[in-house]
Amino acid sequence: MRIALVLAASLCAGAAFAQDAPKGSAERGKKLFAELNCISCHGTHAQGGGRNSEPPIPAGYPWQGFVNQLRKPRLDMPPYEEKLVSAQDVADMFAYFGSIKAAPAAKDIPQLRNF
Amino acid sequence: MTKARKSTQDDDSGLDRRKFLKGAAAAGAATAAAMTAATKVAQAAEAKAPKTEGAANMRGDAFISRPGSDFMVDVIKTLNIDYVASNPASSFRSLHESIVNYGGNKKPEFLTCMHEESSVAIAHGYAKAAGKPMAVLCHSSVGLQHASMAIYNAWVDRAPILMFAGNGVDAAKRRPGVEWTHCVQDPAAMVRDFVKWDDQPGSLQHFAESTVRAYRMMMSPPQDPVLITLDIDLQESPIEEEKLTIPKLSLSAPPQADERALREAAKMLTGASNPVIIADRCVRSQEGVDALVKLAETLQCPVVCNGSRMNFPGTHYLNLSESRAGLVREADVILMLEVQDPWGSLQSMGDPWKDVRRVAKQNVKLIHITLADFLMKSNYQDFQRFQPADLAISADAQTSIAPLTEAVKRELSGTRSAELSGKADAMKKRHRDMVERMKTAAALGWEASPVSTARLSAELYNAIKGENWALAVSDRIAWPKRLWPTSQYHQMMGGSGAAGVGYSAPGAVGVALANRDKGILTVTLQPDGDLCYAPGVLWTAAHHKIPILFLMFNNRGYVQEVMHLQRMAGLHRRDPKTAKVGTMIYDPEVDFGKLAQAFGVYGEGPISDPNAVGPALARALKVVKSGAPALVDVVCQLR
Repeated sequence: MRIALVLAASLCAGAAFAQDAPKGSAERGKKLFAELNCISCHGTHAQGGGRNSEPPIPAGYPWQGFVNQLRKPRLDMPPYEEKLVSAQDVADMFAYFGSIKAAPAAKDIPQLRNF
Repeated sequence: MTKARKSTQDDDSGLDRRKFLKGAAAAGAATAAAMTAATKVAQAAEAKAPKTEGAANMRGDAFISRPGSDFMVDVIKTLNIDYVASNPASSFRSLHESIVNYGGNKKPEFLTCMHEESSVAIAHGYAKAAGKPMAVLCHSSVGLQHASMAIYNAWVDRAPILMFAGNGVDAAKRRPGVEWTHCVQDPAAMVRDFVKWDDQPGSLQHFAESTVRAYRMMMSPPQDPVLITLDIDLQESPIEEEKLTIPKLSLSAPPQADERALREAAKMLTGASNPVIIADRCVRSQEGVDALVKLAETLQCPVVCNGSRMNFPGTHYLNLSESRAGLVREADVILMLEVQDPWGSLQSMGDPWKDVRRVAKQNVKLIHITLADFLMKSNYQDFQRFQPADLAISADAQTSIAPLTEAVKRELSGTRSAELSGKADAMKKRHRDMVERMKTAAALGWEASPVSTARLSAELYNAIKGENWALAVSDRIAWPKRLWPTSQYHQMMGGSGAAGVGYSAPGAVGVALANRDKGILTVTLQPDGDLCYAPGVLWTAAHHKIPILFLMFNNRGYVQEVMHLQRMAGLHRRDPKTAKVGTMIYDPEVDFGKLAQAFGVYGEGPISDPNAVGPALARALKVVKSGAPALVDVVCQLR
C-alpha cells in the first residue's frame, strides 16, 4: 500500500510535466536499467518483484514523477545522483519503459485462469 | 547377565482415551515392538559370552555382543521414531552400528546425509509435514558446529527435532589426535541458546530417562529441538547395569488459554467494528486450520496469514492476507495468534534511516495468544521488539481457538450475530478484488526472459493442479501464497524460520519424505544460492528414493544482498553498478541440471524461455511420480 501511495503521489506530481520528457534511446535505456541493477527490484520489464517492496513501474508513469523518485526517492529506494546517472541516462531509461510491450490481460492467460 | 526391560509402569492405562495422547499411545505400542527378536537373540548370545567380554581390548578374540548402544536403540524405538538423519562420525559409531544391525535399520531407518546442516534441515521440514519428530545424529564438535545454524532455524520455526551428539567425556580413554580435537567438555554449550533442553547422560538408565524426558519436552508446545549427548564409552561398553528400564512416554496436554481471558477476548472481538486476525506459527494440523475458519466465520473477521504455516485457506473469502496494511490500518481490535513479530505488525521501519512509521491506529486493542513467554532466552534476538498487548494470553494458540470460538458465540446476541453476517458480502467482494489485483500483477512481464517469478509459479501450479500437492518451502517466492488455491494444512510448509540460508533444499527433502507415504506430491521452488550451500542433499533424495520436484528459482545471485549493496552505494554517493560484486553468481554460471545429474537426480535446464517451462515440468513430474527426485533449472527474474 505504501508503494501504491508513493506511485500515486508521483503520478500526480508529474502529470503536469509529462510533455517535458526528453528524447532517449530505448535500447541504451534497457542496457542501463540492467547495469544499474534496477532490475533487482523492478524486473527487466519493469514488472516489479514478488514482494511489496519491489513495485512495478506502471505504463504511463509520468516523466517528472520518474525523475523525482530517481533523484530524491521516497521510502527505501536508494538515490541516483546526476554524477552517477546522467540526465541522458534517465531519459534513455524512460524511453525504454515506453517501449515495453503491454502485458496481456490476466483473463487472456490460461495459466492464470486456475486462480 | 544384564538385561533391559520395560518399566512396569507400561501397564498404566487410559492414555488412548485422550486425543492429545495419540502419539504417546503409539509410542507405547512401539515399546513392546522395541524388545525385538534381535534383543532376545543378543541377550541369549550375551548369556553365553565369556565373563571377560570387553575387558581385554588387546585381545583379538574378545567381543562385545551387547553394547550400551543397543539399549539406546531400544529406547529410541519406544519413541516411534521413523528416521534418523546423519552424516557418519566416529563418536557415534557404536550407535550407528546398533541402529543398522541390532535395530534392523527400521524405526529408525538411517538416512545418509552429506552435511550436518542437511541432516537437521531434513528433520526440520519432516517435523512440520509429518507432525512428528525425526532424530539426528552428529559429531559433538565439528558436526554440531555444522548443524548449529540449522538448529537455530528449527528453534525459531518451532520445529521439534531429537538431536543426538556423540562425545568422549573420559579424556583418559580418548584416542590421541583427532578424537581429542573432536571432543568437547560441554558440547551442548554451543547450541544451548537455541535448544529447548539438553543433557549429557552418565549412565544408560540416565540416557533412557533423559531421552524420554527430552521427547516429551520437545513435543509440548512451543515445540523445539532438544539435544542429548552420547558418551562414546556409554555407547561402546557392554551393558553392566541391572534392571534397566525405559520410562513410559506420556505427552503433556498443550496449555489452553484461561477461560476468563478467553471471555474477555471474546468481548473485545464481538464488540469491535473492524477486527482482524493475524496468524503466524499458530497451526500444526488441519484441525487447527478448520478451527480458525470457524472462529473467523463466527466473527466475519478477515484473516492475515503470515505464511510460516498454512493457517487459513487461501480460497476462503476471509483470507485477505494481501490486504494486510489496509486491514491493520483500519482495525480497532487485532487478535494475534503466535505472531513472531507483533511490533513489526503494527509499525514499519525504513531503511537505512530507521524511521518508524505507525501503521495501526494508536488506540488499536491488541490481543495476543502466544507461548513466547514460555521460551524466552536472552542471547539470540528472535523474540523481536517488545510490543505491549492489551490482553496477553500465554497459551497454545491452536488449542485455544476452539474454546475462543465458543466464548465468542456466547457473547454474540442475535442482533449482533445478524450484523456480522451482513458483512460477508463485502468481505467476499474484497477477497475477489484482491485475487484479481494479484492476477493482474502476475500478468506483468508474462513473456519476459528470464522468466518472471509469477510465471514460474503459475506454470508450476498448472502442472500439479490435478494432484494432491504440497509446496515444501512456500516463502521464497510470494506468488504461490498470493495465488494458489490452498485449503489443506499440508499444502504450504512455510520456510526456514530464522532465514538461515541453506534450509530450502534439505527442508524440502524432509517434507517430501513425510509426504512420500501419504500419496502427496511434493514440489518446491528452489533458490539457486540456497542449493549451493549443501547440494549433496540431492544425492540423499536420490539414494533414499524420495520423490520431489525441485523447480529452480535460479536468479543467479544472492539478490537480497544486491539490493543492500545498491542502497549502500546510493547512500555513500558511489557507483551502484558494482552491486553485483560479491553478490551475483556468474562467470561461470552454475548448471543445476548437470549438478542434479551428477548426484543421480533427473535434471534439465537451464531454461530461459517461459514457454519451455510447462513442457519441462511435465517431463520431470513423470519422474517424480515414478518415485524419484527431479530438478528443472529455470533462469528467472531476480525477484
